[in-house]
Amino acid sequence: MMMMENFFRLSLISPFVVMVLLGLSFLLRIKVNERILSTTSKYFSLYMAFLGLGLFIMAWHYSPDELLLNDGNWIKFAHYTFELRFIVDLLGATYSLLTACLIGIIFRFSRNYLHREEGYFRFTFLLFVLWFGLNVVSFSRTIDLLFVGWELVGTTSVLLISYFYTQVQPVRHSVKAIVSYRICDMGILAAGAWAHHYLHSTDFTELPKLLSHDHGGKALIFIGIFIIFASLAKSGQLPMSSWLPTAMEGPTPSSAIFYGALSVHLGPFLLIRFHDYIENFPSLLIAIGVIGGLSAVWATLVGRTRSDAKTMLGFATITQVGIIWIEIALGYTNFALFHMVAHASLRTWQFLRSSSLIHDFFENPVVKQDVSIRRGLSFLSVLNPEIQRKIYIHALHSFHLDFFTMRVIRGVSYPMKMIFAVEKKMMNWDNKLLSRIIRK
Amino acid sequence: MSLQPDFEKLLTRIRAKLPIQNPLHSFVHNNILQMFEAKDFHEALIEAGSLYRAKTYWPLEKYQEAFSSGKLSEEDIMDALNHYEGYDYQIPQLDLLGITRKDFFYRLMFSELNYNDDELQPELEDERLWIHCREKVKNGELVLSRSPVKWRGKGYWEKHHNFLFSVSVHPFVTRLTGSFLDQGQSFWGNPFTQDGFWKFLAFDLAQTGSFLSGWQKVFAKKVKAYEGKAPGDVIIAELQAMGLPEEIWDSYLLDILFDLKGWSGMVNKLELEPWQATVKAPNIHLADFIAVLLLMESSVDTFFSEINSLEITLIRGRKEEIKLHGFPLSLALYQVTKSLKLDERWVQKLSTENALKIIDSVDTAEHRHKICLWHEAFEHHYYRNALRSIMGRDPNPKLPKDPFAQILFCIDDREESLRRHLEETDPRLLTYGVVGFFGIDMKFSSLKNDRLIAQCPPVVTPSRIVTEVSVEKESDSFFHKINNLMGITDLAFYYQSRTLFRGILSTLILGTLSIIPMFIQVFFPEHAKKIRNRLFSFVSPDLKTEIHIEKTDDLHGYDVNEQTTIVKTIFQMCGLKENFSPLVVLLAHGSSSTNNPFKQAYGCGACGGNAGIPNSRAFAKMANDKRVRENLKAAGIMIPDSTSVISGYHDTCTDETFFFDIDQLPEDKVKRLDEVKKSLDEACKKNALERCQRFSLPEAKVNADEALKHVRERAMDPAQPRPEYGHSKNALAVVAKRDLTKNLFMNRRSFLLTYDWALDPEGATLAQVVIGGIPVACNINMDYYFSLVDNDNFGCGSKLPLNLTSLLGVMTGSQGDLRIGLARQMVEIHEPVRNMTIIEAPLARVQKLFEGHKRLSNIMHQHWLRLVVHDPETNKWHIYGHKNWIELQVEDPGLTKVKTSVDVLSLINKIDFAEIGQ
Repeated sequence: MMMMENFFRLSLISPFVVMVLLGLSFLLRIKVNERILSTTSKYFSLYMAFLGLGLFIMAWHYSPDELLLNDGNWIKFAHYTFELRFIVDLLGATYSLLTACLIGIIFRFSRNYLHREEGYFRFTFLLFVLWFGLNVVSFSRTIDLLFVGWELVGTTSVLLISYFYTQVQPVRHSVKAIVSYRICDMGILAAGAWAHHYLHSTDFTELPKLLSHDHGGKALIFIGIFIIFASLAKSGQLPMSSWLPTAMEGPTPSSAIFYGALSVHLGPFLLIRFHDYIENFPSLLIAIGVIGGLSAVWATLVGRTRSDAKTMLGFATITQVGIIWIEIALGYTNFALFHMVAHASLRTWQFLRSSSLIHDFFENPVVKQDVSIRRGLSFLSVLNPEIQRKIYIHALHSFHLDFFTMRVIRGVSYPMKMIFAVEKKMMNWDNKLLSRIIRK
Repeated sequence: MSLQPDFEKLLTRIRAKLPIQNPLHSFVHNNILQMFEAKDFHEALIEAGSLYRAKTYWPLEKYQEAFSSGKLSEEDIMDALNHYEGYDYQIPQLDLLGITRKDFFYRLMFSELNYNDDELQPELEDERLWIHCREKVKNGELVLSRSPVKWRGKGYWEKHHNFLFSVSVHPFVTRLTGSFLDQGQSFWGNPFTQDGFWKFLAFDLAQTGSFLSGWQKVFAKKVKAYEGKAPGDVIIAELQAMGLPEEIWDSYLLDILFDLKGWSGMVNKLELEPWQATVKAPNIHLADFIAVLLLMESSVDTFFSEINSLEITLIRGRKEEIKLHGFPLSLALYQVTKSLKLDERWVQKLSTENALKIIDSVDTAEHRHKICLWHEAFEHHYYRNALRSIMGRDPNPKLPKDPFAQILFCIDDREESLRRHLEETDPRLLTYGVVGFFGIDMKFSSLKNDRLIAQCPPVVTPSRIVTEVSVEKESDSFFHKINNLMGITDLAFYYQSRTLFRGILSTLILGTLSIIPMFIQVFFPEHAKKIRNRLFSFVSPDLKTEIHIEKTDDLHGYDVNEQTTIVKTIFQMCGLKENFSPLVVLLAHGSSSTNNPFKQAYGCGACGGNAGIPNSRAFAKMANDKRVRENLKAAGIMIPDSTSVISGYHDTCTDETFFFDIDQLPEDKVKRLDEVKKSLDEACKKNALERCQRFSLPEAKVNADEALKHVRERAMDPAQPRPEYGHSKNALAVVAKRDLTKNLFMNRRSFLLTYDWALDPEGATLAQVVIGGIPVACNINMDYYFSLVDNDNFGCGSKLPLNLTSLLGVMTGSQGDLRIGLARQMVEIHEPVRNMTIIEAPLARVQKLFEGHKRLSNIMHQHWLRLVVHDPETNKWHIYGHKNWIELQVEDPGLTKVKTSVDVLSLINKIDFAEIGQ
């Protein structure tokens, strides 16, 4: 277990150190050239892959035992302590190994892909931040700590969507992403607050045990609800789905790593982490299953009508993540984990080689005047053609998800607008009064 | 559909101006502004600039930087001014300035006029002049005559209502268009493709009516009101209802279409040439597309004018005045005076009215001419250099009398360096440059894929079909079965992995497996192909094939006479009559790259962007045919029986060479071929080294072996956005015998076409050489030019975020317009220089040819290329100016002299020409 602890510490601290060094060099305006960056990331990937593999083997070996670490407190004030508690188990080690492998591949890919690119430094730096964030999420044992990593991943994701920040569309779509993230991040905060309030702990390992002591009664279900809500945005499940297909604005490798692989699977990851807790509430399991199912059906229908490589992959990802949610709801968490790993690898590869499609099709001996294979197998073909056409149209418009979202936003913002209007009037009235007094 | 005849005409005019947009799998280099070629280059660029909303020249700073760094000299500027004088532009109020036009232009080039710039703090060194200027125009007011008149509401809404079309309007239509045109990328094919786009849209709006908001509601209402009408009528009716004057209809519609120029171009292409579609063109009409865009435009106008209670007629046709008065106006006069090197006495003499006129005139001239002048200067620098180098050389270089082998290359600029290296490596070899499709205008279907592919330049319509057949008939059907099975598996995985239930299965299986190919391809790209090939050859071993060229019916194959003509033409171009060596090699070319949507742009331009292998194989077969050889004797072409013609292939990216049908070669020739192959390998190595100088990675710049390894890795790497630099830097075309350019280092910037003037008194061969080669060279040159000068608007931007759409093209990011042109990574090292063509032939012969051919005459007279003729009868050089031929004086070239090409490589970024001598 000692060796495992060392491996864990190294794999958590190493990306942090590189991240800080790169960040400092940027702040101090020391130019780090492409060559140094690419060499660093090459050897670093090897090193991390070694750590990840070691950790994974050890975790496998000790499983189902897990290594629990308590590294003291980070911040302490009044009754609150921010404790640094970590857990090293098979789930975390698997995700960390996946991270190491995929980011390693992305680094190697980007070495040529982003060669001579102005944003090479930015891109590399953000990937290190992502790495650190993901490892924090993988190994944290409290909601508070997990939130740190969660936020880092979200921020890098948004910054890479707007990689081409001089153009309108990437920036708009990154705003869309950040708004979705922020709304759902409130879920984690709320879950943390709730857990602190009722159970006086946010430790994943302790929560299920505390539950049986029955401290808060029905309010405890809300922790689960918040956690599910928090996982919506990152994994693009309904109703927080519309940002994901439009997030494909950055360089291809960044789309691959975030929306095909690592960021998008954090939702199910969180659910698996909380599975011991959530499974005490059957209604929550049903909710997870329903959300996953609806998202999967919605996304597969919409995705079928999309004709561009990346958006289509975005919808395909939502579909499979929806299935993973269902698997979690049914309690097959290990299978879900395997599904996640397989899915992440496949999508990364599909994203990376999405540019080959035109020539793949053109050189395919079967594709001539028709690609009939596609429609022949669709499960919708049993329906009446007129109904099929109608479904097609609505799928093309994403079943009006944006329209409904805008409705909700307007509904929510209506009272706020009223308050603003009242406030404005009062201000006017105030000013008038003031000016009258001053004149006197 | 009955359209009004007027509308048909309108549509034709509009079509002519849309960008030429091919699906990417049949990408060909085109002059994006080919439809403007009847206009003078600079004039066309002004019009195109406003249509494409693009810059049409390099940024001014780039040219000025070349000047300040000493690359451009005063001489170049003088050349440019002299040439520009020929345009005879009228500058209003020039007489008031008291200087000549040439002088005016010269001063304009170095002017500093920035009175419109709010951010720059103007320098006012000359206080006395400043006082005079301020006095002069104290109460004046000037509306600059370049103030635009805007007919569209778009600019107004974007500026004053923060309503961006690209965000709020275009995604609506691009998604519909993408799905309508889709060739099979999406799982669920659009069920409306046969109904037409207009009906699809109407159905769409009717279905989704209750989910629309804002302008879309107005749009739905309008579309409903026009229900059942033909799109042509809708357009006319809407334009009339909008109250737009008829004379601006063209430009108004074009302006709207150019918001989505890529999709418009594609719609136009698929309507006119449906066979270009990857699979099957949908029932699409440009008129439908225009109707939709127009109604969207007018809906937005209506919507905003209603909610803001604005009179829409005020917005249409508004003049966006650029007004100068007060300080900026005085500043303008001050800067004009300063820049034109005039003084306060001149200002004193002016009347206020004239002062305003002069400011306006100079302002207009500055926006019109300054950049053109700088551009011309930049070009003239290269032209001067090229002409001096070529004109002043020894006209009779040593060529082998009794060549060991003769090698026919493509005219491609990328082959220039290989030819040079090959001749240096083995001086016994003779090289020629002919158009890489070897005169065979065919559609070709290969054994692996029986889709018909045009193997000829896009300007030629293929007349025949030629097929590849297997020699061993018995294994044929097995091969096809396996081949089809692999195709089906491929497709099935593509579709299934993106679905729901089948997706689970394929994700689990493929997902775990995908790690392996991903890992190999990303980390060891150079081995990935080998492994894959070995695997495939295990499943389906490669068959021995031959090209079937014999005529079977009117569509298939060539008869003996036709074959004779083809062979005759090519050998005549090369000037080959009796002096055949025992081995004649036809070296076709192509380029391999991985994960590259622009693969086609790197191929052989003369073969429609494909590899030229089938053409060279077919040609070799024809030229080896005894019947053809017999027939050729009548034309005076005596191919001895001891001569064998063999087909080869050069991969311009990996610098590998292959030969085909070697088993049909006589025993003694095989040895000879081996020797040629050895020299070629050596030359390829040096060629790779030369190419590596242009890449910015230092590791492969000194060692030829390393360089070769490096370029091969580039071709296999899925992450490589620059497998090669293609035609970057091309600027020259030389139509002459090799004598003219032998031993001259030309830095891979020149197309080389072989033509022997002495054997062609009629000029028929010249016509074939020039018409087959020069327009292609010009297209390539212009494609690179425009993609370079404004990569965002003429090109397709960075390769990094590109997203393949509908199996037709690429767009940037998750939605938007289809991109046109070339990617930034393909053109980044190019230089904007129009093609200069040097022809060695009697002047009268060239004149007759160019005047008699429509496109050639246009590109010569309108300056889309610069034409130079070396008349070997009088030994004089002539350059085409403005409707006149100017005789050039031969100057001392002052060339750098080096021993071999390899010695010059360290200077490759500084010099374009060098003499290679023993």
